[in-house]
Amino acid sequence: MEWTFSENELEVTAKSFWQHYNAQHIFTLEGPMGAGKTTFVKALCAAKGVEDATASPTFSIINEYAYRQNGALHSIYHLDLYRLRDEDEAIAAGVEDTIYKENAICFVEWPDIVAHLLPPDTVRLQLSVLPDKKRLLRAG
Amino acid sequence: MSVKILAIESSCDETSASVLADGVILSNYIANQTVHEQYGGVVPELASRAHQENIVPVVDLALHKAGVRKNELSAIAFTQSPGLIGSLLVGSCFAKSMALALNIPLIAVHHMQAHVLANFIGEHKPSFPFLCLTVSGGHTQIVRCDGPLDMKVIGETLDDAAGEAFDKSAKLLGLPYPGGPLIDKYAAEGDPNRFKFPEPQIPGLNFSFSGLKTSILYFLQEQREKDPQFTENNMADICASVQHRIVSILMNKLVKASKETGIREIGIAGGVSANSGLRKALQEYGKKHGWNTYIPKFEYCTDNAAMIAITAWYKYQAGEFAGLDAVPGARAGF
Repeated sequence: MEWTFSENELEVTAKSFWQHYNAQHIFTLEGPMGAGKTTFVKALCAAKGVEDATASPTFSIINEYAYRQNGALHSIYHLDLYRLRDEDEAIAAGVEDTIYKENAICFVEWPDIVAHLLPPDTVRLQLSVLPDKKRLLRAG
Repeated sequence: MSVKILAIESSCDETSASVLADGVILSNYIANQTVHEQYGGVVPELASRAHQENIVPVVDLALHKAGVRKNELSAIAFTQSPGLIGSLLVGSCFAKSMALALNIPLIAVHHMQAHVLANFIGEHKPSFPFLCLTVSGGHTQIVRCDGPLDMKVIGETLDDAAGEAFDKSAKLLGLPYPGGPLIDKYAAEGDPNRFKFPEPQIPGLNFSFSGLKTSILYFLQEQREKDPQFTENNMADICASVQHRIVSILMNKLVKASKETGIREIGIAGGVSANSGLRKALQEYGKKHGWNTYIPKFEYCTDNAAMIAITAWYKYQAGEFAGLDAVPGARAGF
């Protein structure tokens, strides 16, 4: 599956993304700095109805947002593991708790150090910048 | 009898403990993880394991330096949110155990409120209402304070924090991460008007820095096509121009906030308050707009327990205590 979009097509792309991935919970997200990873996750959160302020998790490692679905409160976690060194540190930081939390949606940037913790149905997303500055999102 | 509070901060990288007596900070110890850099890692040790190893010695040092014995304490304070959950848990469990053992009240503190109240440590205190721009690696907020415990976020970042904008710009320039302080260093020698980076058009008092990051990326790519050594040859001017833009984005919103609220008591807080460009700009804008300006001492700008202690002091006076069921949280709302 892949999407090509410009900045003003973010909202539409996010909606289409959730229509396609209505049952998946764990996503890894890779792409160079400036590709728009945080911006894309922000659009995905907005499409789920998140009202919290969404921002980059580079410093905070794990950001948690809440959204409501069928009356129940659910979590979206946005993780950036860039600053962590190994799996032990990731576990100590609480990464397992987010990945295995029931019904929680997780986006994991820099996921290599937790490769063994990710469930088999993890969706791997790749975001890149095209020469015309549009973005290409690929899922493999 | 005086009120003595022990405060613990463990929301992210640093483990810190501070002792306060009647609003005066007696000690403030920070065990950061610089020791691990000796092993070749530039990435800070974040494991809550490190907090577990640090917390007893840091608390012990803070009490010893203050000359306060455990049984003299009136309350124990801890950072409840926001932060990394594994790290917050170490501080909150420690604080709860100690409060329970000593049979004294527990005070839960919001990390971002504490950054703002760092301006109230010492003699030169702002009066209310007061506006504070809190800028750090993880946060960028404009907070309106109508009292020490009456705060409202009136503007915040929609993506990257200001500190992150510095660090990531540095990374694009090939400087080691986190490179914010290096930008400041190079900027001192450079021309801030040599290169123009766009100011994002964000409505209201919110901030956005991700567009700036992308425009720096495109700019460097274009210039390097013409001159592969462009970055190296123009480092000081690029850093000065980038810093000038980040600072002007922050200051322009602060001016707007001051105009909208009519408040002229203006302070900054958080780790990025150490940036010399921002400090200078606050003073210049202050003079121009007739503000009284405030910047906490450096040791109270970065994450520290003294700011938790001063916040706890206000909460103690207001009788705002927490139960043992107070849970730490990662979410950032006040």
